[in-house]
Amino acid sequence: MLTSSFASHARRASRAILVITALAMCARGVATERPHFYPDDPIAREGESQDASNAQPYRMGSMYEMANNLFVTAGYKPSGTRARNINTIDEVPDSSWFTNRIGSTRVTVEDLVRGPNRGGPPDPSRWVVFREKTSGAHPGFTAKDAKGETWFLEFDPPYYPEAATAAVEIATKIFWAFGYNQVESFLTTFDPKRVEFDPNATIRRPSGARTKFTRDDLSAVLETVARSADGTYRVIAGRLIPGKILGGFLYDGTRSDDPNDIVPHEHRRELRALRVFGAWTNLTDLKASNTLDTLVMENGRTIVKHYLQDVGSTFGMCNELYEWDLSYEHFYQADTTRRRLFSFGFALSPWQTVDYVEYPSIGKFEGDVFDPRKWRPQTPTTAYLEMRDDDAFWAARRVAAFTDELISAAVHTGQFSDPAAEKYLADVLVKRRDKIIRTYLTAVNPVVNPRFDANGRLTFENAAFAAGVPDDPATYRAAWFRFDNATGETQPVSETQSATTTIDAPRGLPTASGSFAAVDISVDSPGHPTWRRPVRMYFRRGASGWTLVGLERLPENRA
Amino acid sequence: MRAAGMSGPFTVVALAIGAATSVVAQEPEPQTREAAIEQAQAERVKDLHPYVPGKMEALLNRAEDILVNGVPSWHPDFTSAYYGGGFTLGAGYAHHVSPYSMIDVRGSYTVLGYKRFEAEFTSPRLFHRRGALSLVGGWREATQAAFYGIGMDTSTGNRTNFDFQQPYGSGTLTLRPTRRLLMLRGGLELSRWSQRHGEGRFPSVEAVYTPATLPGLGTATTYVHSQGTVGFDWRTSPGYSRRGGFYGITLHDYTDPDEKFGFRQLDYEVVQHFPILREAWVISLRGEAQTSYTKSNQQIPFFLLPYVGSGSTLRGFISHRFRDQNRLLLQAEWRIMVNRFVDTAVFYDAGKVTARRADLDFNGLKSDYGFGVRFHGPFLTPLRVEVAKGPEGARLVFATQPIF
Repeated sequence: MLTSSFASHARRASRAILVITALAMCARGVATERPHFYPDDPIAREGESQDASNAQPYRMGSMYEMANNLFVTAGYKPSGTRARNINTIDEVPDSSWFTNRIGSTRVTVEDLVRGPNRGGPPDPSRWVVFREKTSGAHPGFTAKDAKGETWFLEFDPPYYPEAATAAVEIATKIFWAFGYNQVESFLTTFDPKRVEFDPNATIRRPSGARTKFTRDDLSAVLETVARSADGTYRVIAGRLIPGKILGGFLYDGTRSDDPNDIVPHEHRRELRALRVFGAWTNLTDLKASNTLDTLVMENGRTIVKHYLQDVGSTFGMCNELYEWDLSYEHFYQADTTRRRLFSFGFALSPWQTVDYVEYPSIGKFEGDVFDPRKWRPQTPTTAYLEMRDDDAFWAARRVAAFTDELISAAVHTGQFSDPAAEKYLADVLVKRRDKIIRTYLTAVNPVVNPRFDANGRLTFENAAFAAGVPDDPATYRAAWFRFDNATGETQPVSETQSATTTIDAPRGLPTASGSFAAVDISVDSPGHPTWRRPVRMYFRRGASGWTLVGLERLPENRA
Repeated sequence: MRAAGMSGPFTVVALAIGAATSVVAQEPEPQTREAAIEQAQAERVKDLHPYVPGKMEALLNRAEDILVNGVPSWHPDFTSAYYGGGFTLGAGYAHHVSPYSMIDVRGSYTVLGYKRFEAEFTSPRLFHRRGALSLVGGWREATQAAFYGIGMDTSTGNRTNFDFQQPYGSGTLTLRPTRRLLMLRGGLELSRWSQRHGEGRFPSVEAVYTPATLPGLGTATTYVHSQGTVGFDWRTSPGYSRRGGFYGITLHDYTDPDEKFGFRQLDYEVVQHFPILREAWVISLRGEAQTSYTKSNQQIPFFLLPYVGSGSTLRGFISHRFRDQNRLLLQAEWRIMVNRFVDTAVFYDAGKVTARRADLDFNGLKSDYGFGVRFHGPFLTPLRVEVAKGPEGARLVFATQPIF
């Protein structure tokens, strides 16, 4: 975390850019001493080399964060800077933030259904309540199950029985598959007849004092939530996250007390990508208090691990039933404010007319009017604003990797009592996935997965076509270069082209082991002018052939 | 030729190392990407410090603690002693005496010299969250309250001023037997109204009227005021709502131990919000009638007569512009959601006072219209600014409560 004040918060990003620029000028003088590609590029993991045990808990207030995001961050001008935590082939290495799963490795239905869960479910035959729930939109408790394990319990609101708990269950699986650290969560039951109170159970009162948790406090919560016909309550139980709780992470800057946190969060691709993942699942509540940093021991070192802790504001779940504008507008937007103010509300906003097929167990969630680029979280974050088309492309490939089968499997974990509701939710996710594919996989040159064999044949894939975008005629053009890894200079060799995703390399490329070649692949395809911008790839010659060491889909600064 | 642009990935790391190299010459050049990252992380160790919230963050964190967690101490108080006192400023100090109950001591002063000091004890969580108790004790003075005469046929030129002082103590118990919808309220107040010589640029009331022509003139009356309300309330909050309604009846009994100025009063109130276009518009309607009943051989003092004209009744008229034994007030608003925190409204008010209950009809209503802006949260309207235009001119309304 950076030292922050309301005003300095706004200037933080621009200051960082200035610092980076200055450092870049310093670095230029020593550029020749360092290679462009290190021998271990591309790295697969962003390591944590330093001990972070001195990191201290802090929780940013929701009011400050909301005000700052709505009235300061909203005015932030995106730097256009390429994501800073990607490796040299434009991918996000594993880290304490993120683990490559779907889109990078095969995720089976079984993997997805298990999600982050490693331990068993709670034993609901007895619950011992010992504290109130302090975060999230829906009521709940902190309690121990019959086995003595600590769980965070969250209930459904009466107007959306099953919906809030299902949203957490399903979204947890999906965001785990995307690669985020998730809380182990299970759908279970809460029987008030089998509730006990820990002798030391307390609850924070309006006076600020913590006093004994009483049965009336339990009743106060249960009166406001959905009850099953048998008198029990459906709950989602989240397992206590291991480690020392440090509070949420911010979507900009770095933690000032974590030595391993060297990339400003707004320049972390996986945080920028939440704009796409959020749009798909309608994760509208992107705020620090829905995230969590914990201090854990890994590989003999104390490090900070970062969680997307609460992904329950998904699939139309909201703070109350009548939040019609959710996902269409931030809580405050100057443009819509002006429009409604001066038109006396006659200038209708899309959320006023969109049709929802509302099931009691599903919130306001649809796929027909949905437009990924117009989707809005409750408040903007700096990472959200910094997302570039190459970040979105990276994210959209992961969304595209969710097959219909995987989507159905994820939705099924929500344990809806109404099969029609379950089918509807899956169908909407498919529709929204396909819109994300059409929007973001076509926005930039979609050439991916290049392989350059020892015989001089370059093969690759067109991610857009592979994901179902109509297969227009395309001509792939390749401009070949020799590349000097020490100086960064390129020498053109020749150009070749193909109507398929296989192109033969020309003669004249280096053959010595350890030499480098570069190739720019552009695509001529009707209806896709952005594909003419080449993707540059770099290959290192080894004893057995060429290895991809670099890929640049968009240039460094693209404001 | 073009230089390769691969400085992007882990640029911060790479650039930081470049800079560090020039400063710390002993640092060896990393030979791998992993070493470069480790070097950047090691460099950062020198500059670690705990998070320090800025002033604005600390301020808003405090505000959140007060608003969300309900832990106020010092707070502003904009409640005037009486309508018509002008801009009001005051302060209060609230202190919890138990997990939920608190005592709030507050005072306010207006530009016209109206004063109010009171202490309130509130206990909002009684009878397993079915009841709330409020005990208030205080004193107030309005130095130049307006009186234009009785009835609707008065003019602004008839204005006189009066002063009153009132020490008071009251208890109000609100019950929600089902915790929603049905609301029962009972209250008892002991107070003493002392009507005195009015200040200000208008004649004092006794210069125009006599005790024979104006009941209550110059009196000091002790009242035992008891009241009971039955209501059905399904608004999201009385402080701010876009849907739901309130239907209620309140019976007041003002007992004068001297049996000179005792009377009864019935209040009927209907509030209904009709959301349109997914609550982007709300048609909000309010109807209110007050009927007074004198006790045998007793009179209603002029300063306790029902009135119209104020920032919450007929907004285009001066406060307390019309007074008489009965009142009818009809208000309609077209509310427009501008964003989550601001609504605007176009409104129309109509109302009158009458001597006879039978005259509480739609004939002879005074009316006004206007435009307002409301700054609100999900449950509160801390600021309402309105411009209202009536036949006697335009008026600007600042209020710290919703209109209804």
